[in-house]
Amino acid sequence: MFSTIKMAIAIMLITGIAGAGMYVMKLRADNATLKANQLKLETAITEQNKVLEQQKEDFTAILESNKKLNVLINTFKKDLQDLDKRFTKKNRDIGKLAIDRTESIERIVNGGGKNAARCIELASGAEHTEAELKATLKSEINPECPALANPNYVPFQ
Amino acid sequence: MYHFNKILAVAFIILLTGCSIGGEKKIKIFSLEKPREKLDYPMPTPLQMEEIYWHIITSENAQEVFKKLEEAGIDPVLFGITDKDFQVLARNFAQIRQKLQETNNLLLEYKKYYEDSGKSE
Repeated sequence: MFSTIKMAIAIMLITGIAGAGMYVMKLRADNATLKANQLKLETAITEQNKVLEQQKEDFTAILESNKKLNVLINTFKKDLQDLDKRFTKKNRDIGKLAIDRTESIERIVNGGGKNAARCIELASGAEHTEAELKATLKSEINPECPALANPNYVPFQ
Repeated sequence: MYHFNKILAVAFIILLTGCSIGGEKKIKIFSLEKPREKLDYPMPTPLQMEEIYWHIITSENAQEVFKKLEEAGIDPVLFGITDKDFQVLARNFAQIRQKLQETNNLLLEYKKYYEDSGKSE
């Protein structure tokens, strides 16, 4: 009888110790998994932050680029308006003027043609000359496309 | 005989498991991110415009203009447009120039966005 009880207690003890051991091992395994998960999450957060940072930079670059192009398109509109003004300013009639002052209009037209040709060269990517870059006075600029030809010229508003 | 049986048993076990000693070699799969090749076209060559001369002819100076042309050895013929058409021509040229500038600028902006940052896909 006594030996049966002892045996039962021994079995229970052994089972208990084995169970505790297995539980500890399971906890260790869980701990390792959790640590690995934590590491992965931290890496993921860092990567996500990098992506967000990159997206932010890209948006800024896109906005800046859009702004530049809008400024350019507004300059185009102004250039066309200025061109129209040159022909029609104060009810100017270029035909009548050409009859009255043929030689001076011929000179002006040829000068304008030369300037317009230079504007096309610059628009296609030609380098600015030193004189074009230095021009700050109205008498020095290319009136056909001042914004393009003379980047340092600030028109008087 | 007993020893022979033991040796035979061990040899049989080794025979069965011999190939798997050390285990299968694990295949390592890794991905290498290779950035897309850059297109890298050179920018278009700038245009070089040739000069032209505009003659203004009125009913009064027509004879004189043709005479000057003949004297200079140029065929006395002119391709004319009216003052209104001259304005249209000037406007058309301005628009072509602006389109050229806009396209060139777009090209530069694209190049800057996709290539300068070194983040091209």
